[in-house]
Amino acid sequence: MSREQHTTNLFVCAAIFILMEVAALALLHATSTLQMVWLDRASHRTMAFLWGSGETLRSHFQLERLNQDLQAENAALQELLRAYEGLDIEQEELRRMAARVSQTYRYTPATVVKMSRNQTHNYIIINKGSDDGIRPQSGIISDRGVVGVIQSVDRHYAYGLTLMNPSMSVGARIGGTAIVAPLSWDGRSTGRALLRNLPPHYDIAPGDTVRTSGFSSIFPPDVPIGVTGGSHLVDGSTREVEVLLFQDFATVRYVTVVENLARSEWMALEAAGEEEL
Amino acid sequence: MSARSVKFILLFLAQAALWNYCNFTPYLMIALLPTMLLCLPVERSTITVMVIAFVTGIAVDFLVTGQLGLTSFALVPGAVFRRRMIRIVFGQELFARGENLSFRRQGWQKVFWAIVLQNALFLLLYIWVDDAGTRTFGYDALKFFLSLVVSSFVGLLVASLMLDESA
Repeated sequence: MSREQHTTNLFVCAAIFILMEVAALALLHATSTLQMVWLDRASHRTMAFLWGSGETLRSHFQLERLNQDLQAENAALQELLRAYEGLDIEQEELRRMAARVSQTYRYTPATVVKMSRNQTHNYIIINKGSDDGIRPQSGIISDRGVVGVIQSVDRHYAYGLTLMNPSMSVGARIGGTAIVAPLSWDGRSTGRALLRNLPPHYDIAPGDTVRTSGFSSIFPPDVPIGVTGGSHLVDGSTREVEVLLFQDFATVRYVTVVENLARSEWMALEAAGEEEL
Repeated sequence: MSARSVKFILLFLAQAALWNYCNFTPYLMIALLPTMLLCLPVERSTITVMVIAFVTGIAVDFLVTGQLGLTSFALVPGAVFRRRMIRIVFGQELFARGENLSFRRQGWQKVFWAIVLQNALFLLLYIWVDDAGTRTFGYDALKFFLSLVVSSFVGLLVASLMLDESA
C-alpha cells in the first residue's frame, strides 16, 4: 500500500469512526433520558468553554477600545455625580430658607466656597452674589451661630469677614438679661471671643447663653453665639467676659446670608438725626 | 455461512442472554463482545470491523437495555485500534505472515493481554457513559476492575472458541 493510499485510508477510517460515534451518541441521546441530560450538560459545558475562550480572546484584542469606553463612562459618571452633589446643596439651601421666614429680614442660603482660618484677618467667600440679591453689610449666620459679615459682592460670589477677625464686632446680649456689649474675637483661639466694655459691677455667671442683641442693623436678634466663660476686670474700669463660641469654624459648609430689609430706612433715619444735631 | 460467523452469532446471543438474565451484582458486567471483535480474522479491514462493531452494538442494545448506541459507542473505538493493538502485542510478523491469532502459535499470555487491553478500552467507555455523572468514582472504579478481571478470563474461553478453527 502506497503512502498516499495509507493516508487516505487513515482519513476515511477517522471519518467513519467519528460518524459512528456521533451516530451512537445521537441514538443514545434519543433513547435514554439520563444520557440525554448528561450529553446536553456536556454539550453546554463545551459550548460555554468554546464561546468563553473566544470571547476572552476577542476581549484581549479590544482592551484598548474598552479602556477608552470605560474612561468615557467614568467621566460621564463623575459629571453626573457632581450634578447630584449640586442638587444636594440646593436642597440643603432650600431647607434652610424654609426654616427662616421673616418680613424684616431676608434669608438667602449659600454654600461656603473658601474660608481662611489661620490668619489674623480671616475671610469667607460664598457662592451667592448680587444676582442672588446679596448686598454688602449683610450678616452671615449658620445653625450654630454668627459666622461673619458680607463686605463686598460680585455677581455670583460674595466676600465677607468672619468673626475671627479683630476688626469685626457684634452686638451681643447675655442670657435673658438686658446686658448688652460688643463681642469680638480674642485674636488667639478659633473657638473663643470676648465681650468687652461691660460695667465692672456686673456679675456674669459662666454658662449663660450669649445671643445677638438685635440692636445692630446687620444681625437679627437672638441668634445664638456661644456661652459665657470666665470674666475679669480690665484696668479696674471695665469687665471682659470670655465667650465659648458655638460655631466651629473648621466645619462650616452651609451658611445663611441675612439682609435687614429695613436697614436703608434705619441708616436714613440715623443720617437725618445726625444732621439735626 | 462460515463456522466462524455462526460462532460469532451464537456468542452474540450468549452476550445478550448474559446481560439480560445474569445480573450477579451491579459491580460486575461480563463483556464478551470486545474479545469477539479481537478474534475476527486479522486480514479484515478496520472499516469492516468498525461496521461489525457498530451493528453488533446496536443489536445487543436493542435486545438488552434499550439504550441504543451505548454499546456501539464503547465498541467502535476497540475496532479502530484493533490492528494497532495486535501489532503492539503480537508484533509485525503476524501481519507479515498473514496469520490469525492463535493460542498455540502466539501463546495464551499474549492473547490474554490483548483481551485485557480490548476489554479495558470497552469497559472504560461503557461505564463512563452509562454512569452519566450519577455515581461516584469509587463505584465506577470498582466496577471497572471487577468487570475487567472477570471479562478477561471469560474472554479466554471466548477466544478459545473463536480461534479454535484458525489455530
